[in-house]
Amino acid sequence: MSPSGSAEGMARLRRAVAGIEAGAGLSERAPRRLKLARALDSALGGGLADDALHEIAPAEPADEAAAMGFALALAARFLSQRPSAGLVIGEGFAAHETGALYGPGLIAHGLTLSRLVFVEAPDADAAFWAMEEALKSGGPAAVIGEIWNLRGYSLAASRRLLLAARKGRTPALLVLASAYGQAERMSSAAETRFEIAALPSARIPAAAGRDLPGPFACGARLVKARLTVFVDAVDSPSKDGRPSGRPMDRVRAQRARLHDAAHAVRLEWRSENLAFHEDLAFDDPPISLSLAAASGDGPRPASQPR
Amino acid sequence: MSPGLSLADARARLPFLVAVEAEPAEEARLLERLCDWCSRFTPLAALDGADGLILDISGVAHLFEGEAALVEDCLKRLAAQGIAAVAGVAGNPRAAWALARFSRQKIAPEILSDKAFAKLFHDLPLAALGLDDKTVADMARAGLRLIGDIALRPRAPITARFGAVPIGRLDALKGLERSSIAPRFMPPDFCAERRFASPIETLEAIEATLRKLADDLVVLLERQAKGARRIELSLYRVDGDVRRIRVGASRPLNEARAIARLFAERLASPHEDAIDAGFGVDLMRLSCLAAEPLAPSQVELDRAHEAERARALADLIDRLSARLGARAVTRRTLVEAHLPEQAEAAAPATLGEARTRGDATLLPHSPSRDGRLSTPYAGEGVRRSRSDEGERGVPARPLRLFVRPEPIEAVAEVPDGPPLRFRWRRVLHDVAAIEGPERIAAPWWRRPDAPTRDYFRAEDSQGRRFWLYREGLWGRETLRAKWFVHGVFG
Repeated sequence: MSPSGSAEGMARLRRAVAGIEAGAGLSERAPRRLKLARALDSALGGGLADDALHEIAPAEPADEAAAMGFALALAARFLSQRPSAGLVIGEGFAAHETGALYGPGLIAHGLTLSRLVFVEAPDADAAFWAMEEALKSGGPAAVIGEIWNLRGYSLAASRRLLLAARKGRTPALLVLASAYGQAERMSSAAETRFEIAALPSARIPAAAGRDLPGPFACGARLVKARLTVFVDAVDSPSKDGRPSGRPMDRVRAQRARLHDAAHAVRLEWRSENLAFHEDLAFDDPPISLSLAAASGDGPRPASQPR
Repeated sequence: MSPGLSLADARARLPFLVAVEAEPAEEARLLERLCDWCSRFTPLAALDGADGLILDISGVAHLFEGEAALVEDCLKRLAAQGIAAVAGVAGNPRAAWALARFSRQKIAPEILSDKAFAKLFHDLPLAALGLDDKTVADMARAGLRLIGDIALRPRAPITARFGAVPIGRLDALKGLERSSIAPRFMPPDFCAERRFASPIETLEAIEATLRKLADDLVVLLERQAKGARRIELSLYRVDGDVRRIRVGASRPLNEARAIARLFAERLASPHEDAIDAGFGVDLMRLSCLAAEPLAPSQVELDRAHEAERARALADLIDRLSARLGARAVTRRTLVEAHLPEQAEAAAPATLGEARTRGDATLLPHSPSRDGRLSTPYAGEGVRRSRSDEGERGVPARPLRLFVRPEPIEAVAEVPDGPPLRFRWRRVLHDVAAIEGPERIAAPWWRRPDAPTRDYFRAEDSQGRRFWLYREGLWGRETLRAKWFVHGVFG
């Protein structure tokens, strides 16, 4: 088959898949994107999609608390966008092993306790079921899952969660609690995957003795980001007169950098204003891009097929 | 053979007598089960003494093609379960009792003239009035043996000699006195049922019937613009077993699909011992135990979308609770308590923020007026925080709290100072930054000897943060301080 023939076949298959997914009641609406931090947003195509599955894995076993802290910070940001409640789904035994989520601590982290519903599933299968139901229903503002037993988590399972998230237009944050060090090897249908490591906080100097610990800080490494938003923008010349290449190339370049194992973005969580504070001095400053998403006159990413 | 005979005498009269020890508790349980089963005929079924049941069949007999057919059906089904029974039907409980136990004619005519009454009851012994043995014996000594003996005599002398009870009972028998029964279950506000000529056995058939019942129930609810908050499904098995499944809804439901779906979750739930249709189910009833007026529908268009989400969330909570159990789906509130482990309380989310009737069977918590849950007594010195939004000022607390604080080995410069390093779960952590102590004492009025805790927020050199505490004030309460990790920060 000639290259053009295979491209044609590919396009036909894509259309067929799009047809199937449209038939499944999936919306064509472009997702709202939640901004995280400048260094990550450009690689994420403007922010975290509010209708997709996002995975969060700890870098080491001891970083699980940091991964959960990051997921809950994302949840707090998602919850600030919608008046509905968030759902926190976990396995029942985890409370005894790793400690149960603690209400006063969640409040200190920036969440509102009255807007959270906690679901304790007897096992991972039930937890995945609950997540899927919750996402499909479209009721919660965000669904946070914390799963330790990942034996049942396959490509198919993640695809189900992704489709459920699309259907209900609800963001899914899945903490792969036991997948430390496997973030790059896993394969799933998730739109993004972060690897989170705890980082020393910005200490507050004390008058005497040792320094005081500062706010929650973590190193976030974007291991995976599916990005199809800029496809149509590829051929449009940049409007702001920058000499740089086509946006897609730049996005690729940015992602390549973020995929670099050494490149983690240091994020500091400010629970009082529900925002991440980036420490630019932590790493070399990320390339500042004016992406199609940001420029008012460019083609709107919202009109792009996903 | 008569009651009161000793076992030896009975054995002497009947050598092959089989003696079985009486088990009143078991018998009572059997009777209760039968009473539940009898709710297939009427919702008003009551226990009567240790060996009887009373059913109020007013207005239901025609469903069974008349009283006689109803009695026949009932006795036949009881016989199929291996239970011998007699039944009487009359206009009031006392008369039915008398007919069932003492009369040859079991069913009283619907309209009872004085003449018919005399014919029916005057020949019955006085015991048919339900009098105690002593009164019956006293009256027998006076020559009064049958009901007719006192019914035809002046009332005053009999009352003077034997008390008011016999005449009162006689009036009750005539229906001159109001008598009521105390049913085991209150009749539901709304209910729908299906009877099957041949029993159904498959889960699919049960679910299909459930959907039809839900349709029927919704029609009834709609007439009064109400929605169901608590719903019960009863499955009556051919062998007499009655299975009841209850679900709660966090908002008044009036959609048949939503109701059927709640039960479908419950039937599919792995925790529920699967519905064992056994020999088949021949009656299914869906009752609405608690109904509430529907909230006026949301008209503002801009808020309609959010209302839709809120409804979807409420339905979701119901479904998750039905499948995983109401205690697995919770909302939490802060409690003003000093001890960190008592500073929050969880309550089933099905109660939601909507108004709820106090349902003592579901939970120990009762909802307060503003919709938040309050625990009447959640621990010592506990006061409910006024509002949830005053939350921001709370001190730093860990994201996770261990159910049991885990002991650690800690090294400190001075016995009452912060730790330099500690070993937890076999890993040594060097404390790089620390904040504390925050001194938290257990309530002295409850546990005067509980040691004080000094909490520290510690960060190790890699940025992992722990909530540590030292138990006991050094020098005053203890000389060897014990260290624990109580939680981890994000």
